Amino acid sequence: MIVKFIDWARKNMFFVKAISYATLVLLVVADLFVPREHPHFIGDFIPGFWAVFGFVACALIIVVSKWLGKKFLFRPEDYYEDEEIKEGRGHV
Amino acid sequence: MSSGFFVHPSLFFFAGMIILPFLRDLHRKVFMVALPVAALVTVINIDPGIYGTIKTSSLDLIAGRADKMSLMFAHVFTLMALLGTIYGMHLRDNWQILAAWGYVGSALGCIFAGDYLTLFLFWEGLMVTSVCLVFLRREKEALRAGYRYFLVHTAGGLALLAGIFLLYHNTGSIAFGPLPASSASWPAYLIMAGFLLNAAVPPLHAWLPDAYGSATVVGSVFMCAYTTKTAVYALARAFPGFEILIVLGVIMSLYGVVYAVLENDARRLLSYHIISQVGYMVTGVGIGTAMSLNGTCAHAYAHILYKALLFMGVGAVLEVTGRSKFSELGGLWRYMPYTFIFTLVGGLSISAFPGFSGFVSKSMVVAGAWQSHLIWAAIGLTLASAGTFLHTGLKVPYFIWFWKERPPFDPPKKEAPVNMQIAMGLTAFFCIFIGLRPQALYSMLPFNAEYHPYTLYHVMESWQILLFTMLGFFLLIKKLSPEPLIGLDIDWFYRKGGGLFLKFCRGGLARLENGLIMNIHQTLFLPLLKIISSFSAWNDQKVVDGIVDGSAVSTMALSNKLSTAMQSGVLYRYLAAMLSAVAVIVGITIWMVK
Repeated sequence: MIVKFIDWARKNMFFVKAISYATLVLLVVADLFVPREHPHFIGDFIPGFWAVFGFVACALIIVVSKWLGKKFLFRPEDYYEDEEIKEGRGHV
Repeated sequence: MSSGFFVHPSLFFFAGMIILPFLRDLHRKVFMVALPVAALVTVINIDPGIYGTIKTSSLDLIAGRADKMSLMFAHVFTLMALLGTIYGMHLRDNWQILAAWGYVGSALGCIFAGDYLTLFLFWEGLMVTSVCLVFLRREKEALRAGYRYFLVHTAGGLALLAGIFLLYHNTGSIAFGPLPASSASWPAYLIMAGFLLNAAVPPLHAWLPDAYGSATVVGSVFMCAYTTKTAVYALARAFPGFEILIVLGVIMSLYGVVYAVLENDARRLLSYHIISQVGYMVTGVGIGTAMSLNGTCAHAYAHILYKALLFMGVGAVLEVTGRSKFSELGGLWRYMPYTFIFTLVGGLSISAFPGFSGFVSKSMVVAGAWQSHLIWAAIGLTLASAGTFLHTGLKVPYFIWFWKERPPFDPPKKEAPVNMQIAMGLTAFFCIFIGLRPQALYSMLPFNAEYHPYTLYHVMESWQILLFTMLGFFLLIKKLSPEPLIGLDIDWFYRKGGGLFLKFCRGGLARLENGLIMNIHQTLFLPLLKIISSFSAWNDQKVVDGIVDGSAVSTMALSNKLSTAMQSGVLYRYLAAMLSAVAVIVGITIWMVK
């Protein structure tokens, strides 16, 4: 049943995408009418603030992390191993 | 002192460790379910109170402090023991279950401890039993990671012990209770360092992905639940309202998210998200209000279940395919659909989708931050929660089950073992149950603070953040495609640092020894020694020998002269000497008698 459903969704990607985008638009539109009960800061007053926040947060996390990785942190997978193996002590 | 009936729940697991090896087949399976159930029922029926006090002349040791907070943690610990044991039921290897039960028993011991010494005892038990779960993977890399884990935790344990000794020295008490923030000094900071290490707060966190990514499939399901949450409990007991914890908590919630982007191994990615999630709990402890401490406890409860579910799902993939790296996985949706659904439930729970457990617990901590007007903390935590969905809700399922049309290896013939699926199904049930009926969770909370997660605004806010994160994910998906790389972390300092130290000894120190010191020795010390020795030889020959020889020669000459003078061999000289001697003696005698 699960496999069939996924199969169907994959074959009708256009339909799935259309529904997804419609949901996103609907969410922002609906946000215009949601009452603000306990606003904590300015963002709580702006309709669609959290939508923008979510998208920017996602992009920020991906771009900043990848930049950190490429610039400083990425190493080959055998980075920690190779010296021990090179020196012939690669066994335990 | 309460009169209620109390059996320490740890005892079930320690006793189970002794009994389990004697059981076979069906008896073994029944026992493996019955024992955690018995412990869970016991925990549910414990009346709050202080039990198991041992009084010595100078110390009060308390093994059973049962109040709402300890009972809530004990509740989820025993529930998790049941789910984890079912997950490991297919194992023919008893050792993993034994280690896991010892581990659960130790964690419960920490939870019920009423003094720091009892806490420390079980704290070390936690470390010893959990390292077995790493070693039992029986691979070269696991053995190495296990030793690193062991060493790091030994250091943390020693910091804790030193803090306890200093605390006793300063105050004369080792009661496990709040240490006042206003007068905190060395004892408090050392104890806190020990706790922070187990809670995996950066920079004391690198052991976590290292060990959990290398442990056995069943082992990491257990490990992800207990060590960090025991530490969170300890922090909530001892350090509520320490503002440094707010800063550390928010940093750690973002730190885990950044590293999760870089991670190619699914279990290590989930490990970095433990760090991120524990960040919420640590922040809650730091804020220290009733609302935020409730949030910490609720989040710990929910987190144990959904994180275990995620580790179960990824572990099932590892069990079936032998792979846990995204770059080696993909396209499994047709082959392991149930595992996919269960993992997705875990992913939606950790991402705090409305209707799942994370939504009702995580938001309490964030609400606590808003309530205390810590806007930067609340924004930081919300940012981390977008990152959580990005990785655990989207990246993990997408790169394991989709991404490629077919798996890049022989597709597995069957789903995960039945017991694993049952365990995943039960855990998924609890995640959804808590999400839909938060009152069941809230009724266990230690403090009184009214909170309603399902307000229209909060639900709308969550949907917006989550779905637009999803939009970002699918737009930037090319940037996220897995690469077979590792990200450097703090463990570099001791992994490379240890190697460098060895190199320094073998290379630097040895060269120093062979080159410089040998050189100095040969050019400076040896000639100097030669000069000194030749002087002493001359001294010996001429002066010492001269004196000795000279005195010997003169003694000989004197004694020769004396003997020739005295022993002349002429009789009358002897007689004359005798007579004169007699005359002298007689003369003296007469003079004395007078």
